[in-house]
Amino acid sequence: MTPTPYPAQIELACGPVTSLDLALFAAASGDHNLLHLDPEAALAAGFDRPVVHGMLTMAYTARLCSSHFGAGSVRALQTRFTGVARLGDTVRLEGRLARMEGTQAVYELSAKAEGGGELMAGTARIERWSTA
Amino acid sequence: MTDHSRIGFTTAPTVVDVDAWRVKLFCQATGETDAVYWNAEAAHAAGGRACPVPPTFLKAIEGEHFSSAQLMKLLDVPLRGVLHAEQAFEHFAPVHVGDRVEVSRTVTDIHDKKAGAFTFIVVDTHYRVGGKPVATSRQTILVRNAVNAAQAA
Repeated sequence: MTPTPYPAQIELACGPVTSLDLALFAAASGDHNLLHLDPEAALAAGFDRPVVHGMLTMAYTARLCSSHFGAGSVRALQTRFTGVARLGDTVRLEGRLARMEGTQAVYELSAKAEGGGELMAGTARIERWSTA
Repeated sequence: MTDHSRIGFTTAPTVVDVDAWRVKLFCQATGETDAVYWNAEAAHAAGGRACPVPPTFLKAIEGEHFSSAQLMKLLDVPLRGVLHAEQAFEHFAPVHVGDRVEVSRTVTDIHDKKAGAFTFIVVDTHYRVGGKPVATSRQTILVRNAVNAAQAA
């Protein structure tokens, strides 16, 4: 029996998210919503601190996968944002190998703010590049 | 209330260049440490024809085409009550720095929940390089109508 090349569990911690991270991500992504940059805009929307872009949490999720399996390995990525990370949070990401589909591995993903609530649930479909 | 008649609205395709500086900035912003995304020699050593883009970078390309903020303006939805509920990507072929990506977006659904307290807007995006599909994405946007109503009052 050939052992699976995919680990049962993968993890990555990102952050703490700084105001510089949020400003750089606003520029890189083109999402200039002040909810992510301005404490007053965040307060007006009901948040005590600027909110981390959902797409930044998702980019961290992609890094969780690519840091283990390499660039180009993420064939599909799906995330449901169940909470918001805020300025200063560290985002802890986990993936659990759910099943294999042929040569592709399907991981169930989660993200939590350190000391806080759940941020994201999702799935990734992964296929490593063969170097053979 | 969100204008449901916009279901089916589709943007005219435009071409967006994948610029090296933007991919590098994206990597800086996301804490990416793999030089394969910005160093062409590292990309060639890994067997690629050029630097690949990170999996979720296509969202930035999409925003250059027609951003969700622009879409909210079209639908007359103030950004204040808007949250990103879900996002999905499917990749059929790698996209590289230097590629010219043709992008088009379609509003595939608008529906209310909780007696109109929330409106969900679903937007699909298609990405093509050289006429071939390289990826699709689906964004679900949550509008908290109470937040917007409170601001308007």
